[in-house]
Amino acid sequence: MISYIIRRLLLLIPTIFVAISLLFFIFFLLPGDPARALSGAGDRHVSEQTLDQVSARYGLDDPIMTQFVDYWERTLEWDLGESFRTRQSVNEILGDSAVNSVRLGIWAMIIELLVGLSVGVWSAIRRYSISDRITTILTAAAAAVPVYVLGFVLMYLFAIMPGPNRWDWPEWAQLKTSGIGDDTWAFFFIPTGEQWRFLILPAVSLAAVGTALLARMMRGSMLEVLRADYMRTAKAKGLGERQVVMKHGLRNAMLPVVTVIGLDLGLMIGVAVLTEFTFSWPGLGSEVVAAVEHRDLPVILGLTLAVVVVYSIINLVVDVSYAWFDPRIRFGKGGQL
Amino acid sequence: MRRQRKSSYRLLVLLSIFSLIAAACGDDSDDSNDNGDAATDEATDDGAELDEDKFVSMLEDVCGTGDDPETSGEDGGGGGGGEFVDLGTFAQGPPDTIDPGLNTESDGAQVIQALYDPLTEIVYDDDAKPTVVPKVAESVESDEEGKVWTFKIRDGLKFSNGEQVLPSSFRCAWERASTPGFHGFYGQMFEYVEGGKEKLAGDAETMSGLEADDETMTLTVTLAEPYADFDATVNHATWMPMPTQAILDLGADQQGWDRSMMVGNGAFKLDTERSDQEIVLVPNPEWDGTKYDEALGLESQPLLDKLTFRVSSDIDTAYNSFEAGEGQNGPVPPGRVEAAFSSYPNTQEITQLGTYYFQIGGDSAVAGDDNVLLRQAISQAINREELDEVVWEGSQPPASGMVPKGIPGYEPDICEFCTYDAAAAEAAFQEWQDAGNELSDPVQIAFNADAGHEDVVDIIADNLNAVGIDAEVSPMPSETYFDELSKGACIDICRVGWFADWPAYDNFLFELFHSSSGNNYGYDNPDFDSMVEEARRTLDEDAQGELYREAERLLLNEDIGAIPIATYAGQYIYADGVTMPYNNTNDIDWAKVSVD
Repeated sequence: MISYIIRRLLLLIPTIFVAISLLFFIFFLLPGDPARALSGAGDRHVSEQTLDQVSARYGLDDPIMTQFVDYWERTLEWDLGESFRTRQSVNEILGDSAVNSVRLGIWAMIIELLVGLSVGVWSAIRRYSISDRITTILTAAAAAVPVYVLGFVLMYLFAIMPGPNRWDWPEWAQLKTSGIGDDTWAFFFIPTGEQWRFLILPAVSLAAVGTALLARMMRGSMLEVLRADYMRTAKAKGLGERQVVMKHGLRNAMLPVVTVIGLDLGLMIGVAVLTEFTFSWPGLGSEVVAAVEHRDLPVILGLTLAVVVVYSIINLVVDVSYAWFDPRIRFGKGGQL
Repeated sequence: MRRQRKSSYRLLVLLSIFSLIAAACGDDSDDSNDNGDAATDEATDDGAELDEDKFVSMLEDVCGTGDDPETSGEDGGGGGGGEFVDLGTFAQGPPDTIDPGLNTESDGAQVIQALYDPLTEIVYDDDAKPTVVPKVAESVESDEEGKVWTFKIRDGLKFSNGEQVLPSSFRCAWERASTPGFHGFYGQMFEYVEGGKEKLAGDAETMSGLEADDETMTLTVTLAEPYADFDATVNHATWMPMPTQAILDLGADQQGWDRSMMVGNGAFKLDTERSDQEIVLVPNPEWDGTKYDEALGLESQPLLDKLTFRVSSDIDTAYNSFEAGEGQNGPVPPGRVEAAFSSYPNTQEITQLGTYYFQIGGDSAVAGDDNVLLRQAISQAINREELDEVVWEGSQPPASGMVPKGIPGYEPDICEFCTYDAAAAEAAFQEWQDAGNELSDPVQIAFNADAGHEDVVDIIADNLNAVGIDAEVSPMPSETYFDELSKGACIDICRVGWFADWPAYDNFLFELFHSSSGNNYGYDNPDFDSMVEEARRTLDEDAQGELYREAERLLLNEDIGAIPIATYAGQYIYADGVTMPYNNTNDIDWAKVSVD
């Protein structure tokens, strides 16, 4: 197991190198002059002198391979450079925005696991009942509706309609449309004060698709497990339904679901871009959108680096967790992986 | 397993080879460096890179030893005008910077207007005829030519840290903002000043045309060329003063000014360092509006108790936030204009100093003296009212000239061929054809793609086809559109939009159509150039206005070198009880804003 984990961690290095390098070179294949975009001229004419000065300031007048080598030399010292647009340290931008994205992601995952798994198990136990059919329809809808559409619908129903211009509900019942508020948290991710009013809508939007997928996956996996011989044996022994399902069935049903959770975490990174943009949540997603729009190369590369590392670690954790769910799986010499 | 490992290694090798090929092929953004020389980190002779030691040394010379600040020790007392959350300014992301010397965007300028006071203010008591009123300057005078400008700075004005506002506060700020390797796009404006061009090129340490005498409170600016509207120009954010001691304290980290507790001389000061989520301002206790001209109508303190600029990443989200009651004003997104006007009685349309137009490409098939009738026909065939109704929901009034209302010297209906008249268009086109001309190819209507202009050009193409002028749309990539236009790619008519930086006629006519301007994509008439140059030197407002109008008539009615389509206007929604004076440059007088 240990050697497997070490091998996977070492594989991270070429993965990061290739991903970042590709992105680096693709940037220079994009049409247009980045110096012009960075000069702030917009549609206005900008003099060659200014363009030269902008290029020199941002190192864009160096040959690409020189810029490439400089970039990696700095990155190995964990200096991710400065934003072209704001001149802020990318390390700082990453730190601030990553924290906000992680908080949002944690809550989205909590919602997905609690709701998705519960609904999936319930649907499997009550298969073909009315409640099963209703959850089937709802999960299909949740999976199909684009996150930005869902976001705006939730915004309308829970922030705009209860607001002072419409129903005028008490303030505590009005959720917020955007932003992060006072940014007050306990134990890193538990919202305090009014914080939760800013968190709920983006977390639910982000969790929607994953919840639907988990629910469907859990239902299918649970149905298979419920038909297994050992489940019949457990019932025959006189164990209650709850004990049979939760102790014997759930753990075995989790294996394929864990794979989906891993994939979902990766998908969540992409969906988070739309969610954060829709709700102006100051996370990695919002930063990525602004960086791409302004061709802010250091920020694009820095955020990609973070995403690649996080995604790889998540996959590793998912793979390792198989061993916990199924003791028959062993890693290392002679093992299956 | 061994076979899988080999495949993985092969894949890595292939990807690495691709990266190297991409590197070799992708270097088209810096043609000047094909010699492969590596740039150095040292300052080059053309001042391309910032030499931090030289920069700091220059600031120490120019900004002096700094003032010994002494504050009143009081908190700013707002006039009980409430707390205002602005959702309209940063509806599409945070500002890149709110440093006056580096800012290039109108949204950042809104904050700068609240934090800093300029030498002069533009007053719009009469929409059609704005006037320049001295603000931080007690008086503004120029010599007969309009080349040497003398600003007498008022006594007793202070920055929020207690430093006095002195002539050197301006000189320090301007030298800072014109330093090569540091300056932003608008640093080019310092070319107006004698020695500015040399400074920007790295050939001089400071601008020879600036003199700041703190003893006599006099700031003297000698321009490179006479320019009658310089008093309006210094209203722009780039010309704001800076507190010299605070600047010197920053040392080489001048970029850090933007994210620090910036100190200004305006009605408000920062409550906390700004973030990308919001910028919070409170009244500046060192500011007293009654020290300025009565014409500005200011109180001793701003009316608001607190002003928060909330950032949204999307204009629809900002509008939704307003609907949810989270702010006192907001933008109106395209497609929701009608709903906003019907739902919120306080929705207002603010005319902006901008024009949406098409320029005639200099080398195109529709250019030249032989094709005046063709261009006339094109202009008369375009149904501007239809465009306004169908595309912009009635929010962008049709243009009747190049220059919008709000520019001194403006006259309505200056363009003879900007009114839709299909019959006249057909007649002009027929007359052109009868003279032996013919269109060998459809008229190309060029525009920057994926920027929301598709519906506009489609309607224009239909309008032209309807009168017999064969036309087709010609989309070009947005990223390279204006670069390509400046290299002569304006074939045959090309879409352009322009907002004035300050309310002056020359900000349209000179900046867009003078033969020396980089924003000119093909118009060339020496008579026009002469008229505009003379107008720029003419101090008498009426005479200047007449000259500019003559030039505009030449451009639009004789040469038909441009086809104005619409005047830009913005729509904003307000909560009940909000008083929010706007002017035509979209600047808000924050000291006068209040919430009941």
